[in-house]
Amino acid sequence: MKLNKSLFSSSEFIVLLGLLAIGAFFAFTSPVFLTKFNLLNILLQSSIQGIIAIGMTFVILTAGIDLSVGSVVALSGVIMALMLHAGVPVWLVILINLVFGVAIGVFHGFSITKIGMAPFIVTLATMAMARGLTMVLSDGKTIFDFPASFEFFGAGTIGPISVAVIIFLLYAFLAEVLLRSTVLGRNIYAVGSNPKAAALSGIRTQWILYFVYIVSGISCAIAGLVLTGRLGAAMPTAATGYELDAIAAVIIGGASLMGGKGTIVGTIIGVLLIGVINNGMNLLNVPPFWQSFLKGAVIFLAVMIDSLKNRQVEV
Amino acid sequence: MKTSPILETVNLTKVFPGVIALDDVSLKLFPGEVLGLVGENGAGKSTLMKLIGGVYTPSKGQIFYQGEETHFRTPKDALDAGISIVYQELNLIPHLSVAENIFINRLPRRSGFVDWRKLYADTRRILEGSGMEGIDPRAIVADLPIGVKQSVEIAKALSYDARIILFDEPTSSLTGPEIENLFAVIRRLQERGIGIIYVSHHLDEIFEITDRIHILRDGKTVAVMPTAEADEETVVSRMVGRDIQNIYYKGEHTPAEVALEASGISDHFLKVVNFKVRRSEVVGIYGLLGSGRTELLKALIGARPIKGGEVKLNGRKVRFKHPHDAIKNGVIYSSEDRKGENLFFGNPIWKNITYLAIQVGRFVKSGFTQVKEERAAASEYAKRLNVKAPSIDVDVYNLSGGNQQKVCLAKALINDPDVILLDEPTRGIDVGAKLEIYRLIADLAEQGKAVVFVSSELPEIIGCTDRVYTMSEGRVTAELLGDDINEENVLKYCLEIGAAEGATS
Repeated sequence: MKLNKSLFSSSEFIVLLGLLAIGAFFAFTSPVFLTKFNLLNILLQSSIQGIIAIGMTFVILTAGIDLSVGSVVALSGVIMALMLHAGVPVWLVILINLVFGVAIGVFHGFSITKIGMAPFIVTLATMAMARGLTMVLSDGKTIFDFPASFEFFGAGTIGPISVAVIIFLLYAFLAEVLLRSTVLGRNIYAVGSNPKAAALSGIRTQWILYFVYIVSGISCAIAGLVLTGRLGAAMPTAATGYELDAIAAVIIGGASLMGGKGTIVGTIIGVLLIGVINNGMNLLNVPPFWQSFLKGAVIFLAVMIDSLKNRQVEV
Repeated sequence: MKTSPILETVNLTKVFPGVIALDDVSLKLFPGEVLGLVGENGAGKSTLMKLIGGVYTPSKGQIFYQGEETHFRTPKDALDAGISIVYQELNLIPHLSVAENIFINRLPRRSGFVDWRKLYADTRRILEGSGMEGIDPRAIVADLPIGVKQSVEIAKALSYDARIILFDEPTSSLTGPEIENLFAVIRRLQERGIGIIYVSHHLDEIFEITDRIHILRDGKTVAVMPTAEADEETVVSRMVGRDIQNIYYKGEHTPAEVALEASGISDHFLKVVNFKVRRSEVVGIYGLLGSGRTELLKALIGARPIKGGEVKLNGRKVRFKHPHDAIKNGVIYSSEDRKGENLFFGNPIWKNITYLAIQVGRFVKSGFTQVKEERAAASEYAKRLNVKAPSIDVDVYNLSGGNQQKVCLAKALINDPDVILLDEPTRGIDVGAKLEIYRLIADLAEQGKAVVFVSSELPEIIGCTDRVYTMSEGRVTAELLGDDINEENVLKYCLEIGAAEGATS
């Protein structure tokens, strides 16, 4: 009884209803929307956004933000492409790519905890620097031609399901378990909810901040791997603007920019909502300029509903 | 003095859906009198104040003001008639001057422009008439200390020609000298024949400033007595509805070996502090806000880096770099700032209680929290500390101050620590919860714990501790034992500035 009540009044549930409503609308207006092929396609298109948004969820839970994700994804792609062309074996390329993601996270964690810089500013700087490096390294050109074993991670399938989707769902599952059931996860919420109380309760808040930015960095590295594999190319302009979609997905999913509130399940629903809107509008041949407007309007509505629902709680 | 009352309520009743907030209360206030209104949270004090101040309209009963029945519909009606309320939270506009705040909405005008000369002159007259001539009418409110801000609020009330002023917990954010100032102002108002109703949780203030005490419990009047004939035990007994023999309580315990000891610790604020607490002992630390009490406790647990000196736990030298280290070694600090530094608002009671425990691996198996065990333990501690809530899933945000404090204590005690540092555990909570906390502290000492009890309330320090350190400006100014722990000594040493360290042993 009580469980039901909290389930139905949760942010996730309301967004899920929104997702179903929009899905129902597209199902009626487009004959293609509900086909198995299209639904798998939505999942595939959402997987890269989803992986990035999972990392973003960790960061936003601590009241932080990571604006660098789009650029870091692109940089990760170009670094891997150059290494592959230099003859580095695929397994080592993937390993170095993950280390690169960790390094980005450590850089952010250090700047925020030790130097005391604001997350917004640090990651804004990284966003510009990473994009710049991407251009420098690639000379502004798209890099093609990778081994099939590399492209498998983005373009391969296992049975009817894309490897990208499997990676996304597996990663989401691990993240959900970590946040829900481990001490580390509990501590991430605690730091976001009240950093001073967290420190006095024995939580090493600086380690937690390092951790969440490292998770975001690794998420970008994984997303870079999947994206580059899927496209079969590393493009210096890849993943432009992904940071905004990721932040939107996390917030739509019920997280608060003030920290301490949000779930992976919510984020995934948020990602799917954005994915469904993008897909449906394409099917209905909505002109691109209007697509951007409508997507913004839906984000606004989703967050507005949540804010209205929580308004009485705020002082 | 006993003329006719300036204010009288007759059988005043206020019913809210499902609850009788005030039940048949008859109260009298005479000109030039300070009437203390006391009761636990939910006893009906605020409702009564709001009825008198025109915020609520009565369900039944009458209010007579200067002999005539009144029906205020809004606070403005009451204000215009001469009844002002000075609330706990001040309602001043920080960027405006004192004078503008006092006469806001009613700035004197001359041909459309503000008549500044008259404004300042009027303000000065009000300030001088009530012992506040030290305040500059042109000063910007934001720059003033909190005590002065409150005086401005009172001056604002007086500018409406107030005949009655209601004070709602006026001292909750004032320091000792500021409280004395407030009392001086209240006495001046009294001389001018203004009737004052004074609401406070601090019984020592009630005894100092009031002429009569009106006690409410569960919305009803349970007693009205002249202050001179009342004593603390009687008042508290009537407030809580059962016989209280000793409010303050030392319990039975004999201090044993030293548990935590600091020798000459210092940082940029603390100046060579020596401090120790024994097992089975309750040590009090008394000092005004900013005296260094909180800083000392935080330095002891590693939440502030120490520059010099050393800390010993059970005779062994320790160096806590983070509160985590202290918690692991059984030293626990519970912050005075429940909302800002202790609790996680937005989270349920049970998670708040176990946050600290899971940091040291309790209710955890290979990194995973064991929610069932956690909830069982949280439930047990919530019960043991008498946390009043429908379930342990309630958000701590929705609890009363007293119950929030009990959650803080449950959080601190669930690890069964050896040394417990309690920073103002009774701040802002009602007397019933205070009594429970005094008993709990005595129990802990009986169980052999070393307990440090920081407080700004003298009677607590005197009544509940075995040994007292007084602090001022980052120093320990005295260590008091036995009969030396009395009001005169404690006050003397806590005001001592730059006293010799020789006073400590």
